[in-house]
Amino acid sequence: MSMAQATVSLGGLRKSYRVGESSVEALKGVSLAVAAGEMVALTGPSGSGKSTLLNLCGLIDTPDAGSRELCGKVLDGLDEIRLTQLRREKVGFIFQGFNLVPVMTAYDNVEYPLLLLGVALEERRRRVAEALHRVGLDALARRLPDALSGGQRQRVAIARALIKAPALVIADEPTANLDSATARQIVDLLHELARERSASVVVATHDERMSSHCDRVLHLIDGELQ
Amino acid sequence: MKWLIFAWKNVMRNRRRSLTAMLITAFGSAAVLASGGFALFTYESLEEMTARDTGHVVVAHARGFEGDEDVPLQHGLADATALAARFAALPGVRAVAPRVQFSGLISNGDKSAVFVGSGVVPEIDFRLRGPQMSFLAGQPPASKAPAPEVVIGNELARLMKAKVGTLLTLLATTTEGNLNAVDVIVSGIASVGVPEIDKRLVLADLASVQKLLLSDKVGTLSIYLKETADTELVAGRVRESQPGLTVKTWRDLAVFYQAVRALYNRIFGILGVIMICIVLFAMVNTLGMAVVERTREIGTLRAIGTLPGEIVRNFVFEGMAIGAAGAVAGMLLAGAATVALLFAGAEMPPPPGRSVGYPLLLSFSPTLYGAVTLMVIALAAGAAWLVSRRAANKPVTEALAHV
Ligand SMILES: Nc1ncnc2c1ncn2[C@@H]1O[C@H](COP(=O)(O)OP(=O)(O)O)[C@@H](O)[C@H]1O
Ligand SMILES: [Mg+2]
Repeated sequence: MSMAQATVSLGGLRKSYRVGESSVEALKGVSLAVAAGEMVALTGPSGSGKSTLLNLCGLIDTPDAGSRELCGKVLDGLDEIRLTQLRREKVGFIFQGFNLVPVMTAYDNVEYPLLLLGVALEERRRRVAEALHRVGLDALARRLPDALSGGQRQRVAIARALIKAPALVIADEPTANLDSATARQIVDLLHELARERSASVVVATHDERMSSHCDRVLHLIDGELQ
Repeated sequence: MKWLIFAWKNVMRNRRRSLTAMLITAFGSAAVLASGGFALFTYESLEEMTARDTGHVVVAHARGFEGDEDVPLQHGLADATALAARFAALPGVRAVAPRVQFSGLISNGDKSAVFVGSGVVPEIDFRLRGPQMSFLAGQPPASKAPAPEVVIGNELARLMKAKVGTLLTLLATTTEGNLNAVDVIVSGIASVGVPEIDKRLVLADLASVQKLLLSDKVGTLSIYLKETADTELVAGRVRESQPGLTVKTWRDLAVFYQAVRALYNRIFGILGVIMICIVLFAMVNTLGMAVVERTREIGTLRAIGTLPGEIVRNFVFEGMAIGAAGAVAGMLLAGAATVALLFAGAEMPPPPGRSVGYPLLLSFSPTLYGAVTLMVIALAAGAAWLVSRRAANKPVTEALAHV
């Protein structure tokens, strides 16, 4: 796989955390390239460094050592403002705990990334309606997150992550808080929509079904890719 | 617009807490508005009172205000009638009142007391003084009376055991340095509300006083205006046309007004500072709690591409919304108090050195209301900026891990 096609490429990433006196090495030199439209599953035991890797991948954390590129752009040394702008344009997030804004309706939550991008009202309306339709929530657009089930909330989160047609979607155990039937639907939906919009996806998961949908399954143990 | 709605929704998220901050802000701004309104009303009343006493513009001989004359009216105005006519013709002038200040002894035959008197033209003077001087008995002196008439202060009347119609004698030094006396009839008993003044007050017809002092000069010309606001303008004109004379305004002569104003400005200034602190504290407290509670949400919004500045801006909008709501409620409260006092007829107790109180009323000043509103909103915005800056700049992973 050539670097030119890669949405993300990570080289020799290291990250350690201070815990009191000692320090924990969460990533011990991880290199990874994710091609455009590729879906990568990240598996491994709890504490193996999956979240740490996703955070670095999604530009919400910085490595101690190593290099990163997103869509061909070198990230080393970029300040927080530039990184935020890149996330705004290119990265969608799906969290284990859904992380919707409680005072915003499903509609408003999905619309939010477009507001940040300064998309005009008419186009926002069209795209949000379409996105909500695609995740099967047309009827629940005016509901607040509190009035939605876990599965419905994660659908809103998927719509929010994909509404801006991001180059990269980061999903950290998106089905861990859902029952297996709901989880299955969410896995299928994420797979389907990411494919449709040819977004690269990096998903940390313990879910067999999720892994089976992915192009590649990576195994992380003690901060090292196997 | 979307951001304002978002801010308002967040305000309503913890209604009780936002309402508390709003109420504190409302009471704080109402207190500032009410006390400011009270101070303004007091200033206005005192302005009116002083201007009615001295006249808006007072003209005297070049050394007329120095009070170091060797004999009475040494520095008097000789051509007062012509000058008065000229001033009366200036635009905005209501009337010109010639006056002679004089002092001496007043006697009822059994005992005597010191008096401080004014010779005035009764027809002009008593009309202009208005409610500033209240008659307890009788009426102003008549200038064409067969025997000279005087109005005396109520305290002096008590001292002299005088009633309307009582015969008294005034003793004073003439312009030639001799003692002269005149018998006068008490035509009225009045009070200006200051016992120290009422104890010595004698107001007599100008012509009688000039006769007593053996002079045809007057001490001062008090120019009364239609509008107090024209004071400086008219004073300037008079100064220009009469460079040889000394011209003062009521403001220069209003020692009491200046003292009260300085005192109130200080008192209400301190009150204002206290209110600022309380409002700031309430805002910092309320918004600070909101920021802490929403740290994880801040992390989420930051992750999906919201800049720290935009997070801060949202909190600033939130603070401004609470501040604006509080300021509006405060204005309504203060406005209601202003209207209620109009009908309540409440009285303030007499100020130090005075025997009568004055009505408790509040002035309504759009400038004051506008300034307080802007200040409250600015304070709220400042508080929001202060408390949200740190959370907005926290590393995203740290904010997301917040529980
Ligand atoms: N903020 C942190 N502070 C200290 N240690 C951390 C922190 N985040 C993760 N770690 C440690 O780093 C290692 C990897 O954690 P993580 O990336 O969350 O693993 P996973 O997502 O696979 O469970 C673990 O040992 C964890 O305890
Ligand atoms: Mg994890």
